[in-house]
Amino acid sequence: MKMGNLKNSHLIEGTIWLTIVLVFFAFTYDFNQPIEIYKFGATGWPRVILGILLFVTLGNLFHQYRFGSAAQSGRVGISDDDDEADGTTSIGAVLKIIAVLGTPFLYALSLKPAGFYFATPFFIVFIILLFGERRPRWIISITLLIYALLLFLFMMVLNAPLPQGNVSPFYDYSAFILRMNSQFQQLDLW
Amino acid sequence: MIENFLLGSSALFGDPYTLAIFVFGVLGGMLFGAIPGVSMLTLAAILLPFTASLTPAQGVMLFAVIYCTGTYGGAITAILFNIPGAPENAPTAFDGYPMTRKGLAGKAVGAAVLCSAIGGVASALVMMAATEPLAKWAIRNIGPPEIFALVFFGLAVASSVGGRTIWKGWMSVALGLIIATIGQDPVGGIDRFNFGFSDLAAGIAFVPAILGFFAVSEIFVQAEKTARGRYEAPPVNMEFPSFFELWQQKIAVIRSVFVGFFCGILPGIGATLAAFMGYGEAVRWSKNKESFGKGNIEGVISSETANNAATGAAMIPLLALGLPGGALTAMMVAVFQMHDLEPGPLVFYNSPDLIWVVFAAMFYANLSILFIGILETKTILYLLKIPFQFLAPLILLLASIGSYIGRGLVLDVMVMFGAGIIGFLLRRSGYSIPGIVLGIILGKIGEQNFAQGMQMVHYDLFDYLSRPVCLILIIAGTLTLASGLHKAFKANPA
Repeated sequence: MKMGNLKNSHLIEGTIWLTIVLVFFAFTYDFNQPIEIYKFGATGWPRVILGILLFVTLGNLFHQYRFGSAAQSGRVGISDDDDEADGTTSIGAVLKIIAVLGTPFLYALSLKPAGFYFATPFFIVFIILLFGERRPRWIISITLLIYALLLFLFMMVLNAPLPQGNVSPFYDYSAFILRMNSQFQQLDLW
Repeated sequence: MIENFLLGSSALFGDPYTLAIFVFGVLGGMLFGAIPGVSMLTLAAILLPFTASLTPAQGVMLFAVIYCTGTYGGAITAILFNIPGAPENAPTAFDGYPMTRKGLAGKAVGAAVLCSAIGGVASALVMMAATEPLAKWAIRNIGPPEIFALVFFGLAVASSVGGRTIWKGWMSVALGLIIATIGQDPVGGIDRFNFGFSDLAAGIAFVPAILGFFAVSEIFVQAEKTARGRYEAPPVNMEFPSFFELWQQKIAVIRSVFVGFFCGILPGIGATLAAFMGYGEAVRWSKNKESFGKGNIEGVISSETANNAATGAAMIPLLALGLPGGALTAMMVAVFQMHDLEPGPLVFYNSPDLIWVVFAAMFYANLSILFIGILETKTILYLLKIPFQFLAPLILLLASIGSYIGRGLVLDVMVMFGAGIIGFLLRRSGYSIPGIVLGIILGKIGEQNFAQGMQMVHYDLFDYLSRPVCLILIIAGTLTLASGLHKAFKANPA
């Protein structure tokens, strides 16, 4: 069977989009109930959008069949940075990219048990290391600077309620930081 | 009008306390507008309780000033780092960031400063001259059917911008629209697509989604470049746009003022759609369409003029009719109510001093964008000299906190990082991130107004299209989509 300019990556991409359409359409039956004052009910709008998504996904596959991945002439707002990466990636680079994508997720997962105050300095250090900085003096000083800046802005100035953690000793550490803050704010510096 | 304006100005500058509040609002709006995730809304929410101790004029004036300067503030990070401080600055990044990569950051920021000031001042002048008649026109001619029609037109324009092909532009907008359906439906309050997670009943909060798609995905893009050894710090150049360069764009500025003002006057639409439509119209009328997205100064000018032009217009339905058009104007209603006042037609007769202090403050706030912005630009461009390995954790943490403090949910931080990864992958494949974001923002507004509009016209399409504003906007949107479809089937690769 002739595939035109379609590549496997296009087929995978199309399959992902069609799966999204199918899964969301299947889930519309979960809330397929009439609304007395509105003829189209709760499913009308989402199903129309899913229909549009199905149409444009097929249109995209047709375009890729004819022209492959090439950009359409006259398109605006496409940055050179957004171009597909070339295939010359070393295993080390791939691992580094995966680490950069995964570290923020681990940080988000740690916020509930460990809290913002404890987890944040480690997160800063990891990100700085992943971006290639190796000088210990810089890593430590920038970590402390960013941590202090965030505490000043969000804890002291804005009094923002940040996650404190729910596991000891992380929770105790957050409590200690917050106690220090309240004691500092009670000082009559003016 | 001039006499009232002078009275408002003397009340503003004659009282040192009022003047200090004005200066605080100008600087605070600029600063908070420029921090991704910690928008001017955060500042306004923090300040709301304190306005009880201010006079009504000082309280409303403070919020109006924050609105003006906060709308400009987000352009800086959009231009320098491709991270818009707020959704209304997203189109600014289309050409602003490529200009930075070319070493033209000074020109881009300078154009944003000047055009934000022009758009805001023009809007403030029209607001002073015509608030009452414009509000009356809007209330007679604009309702849910027209708002849906404008959303339809706006999304049609947005899908034609960004994305490697028109199909990908449309897919991006459709993805944003489907994300916006997560949560309760706007008519019956029925839970949709919560996949068993009770936290999703309230829907996907758009601040984490926007931060993920813009800020986090940009960090990931730069991380990938670093990993491949392709990262290069952009050159820093302090050169401002020349008078001749700006004069050449006068038509774009005038057009964007009109577009911004029209969008701003409509409740719930505001500066975001104004910026996208200002940009879209600049592309539509340009003879040099291919240069957009590659560092065309007209792209920066059109979106920044339009979003600031929307600020003055957004005050019209609030002050003349008591209808807030967005979150910040809704907070202004709260300020009025704290002082036992109700915004609406009577305010013009009962408290003219308040109205004219607010009008004068908005005028001067937009002017101050020009002077403070030029001074600020000289220093802020040095941010580009900070090595990215030190900026990246700061941006990620600001985005994390900005996502968390909205609803106090760790889930929102995860949504943000999830959106960041999806945004990173979609960008690599040529999809339009601003299209997704606009779909998320306008999806709920569109659905709600579609439902209300259909009920109003008893589901009769002819009745719907007999409304002139609806007819014009629906035809314009349909032509935009049809032209895109025609190009998609005929177009050759670039």
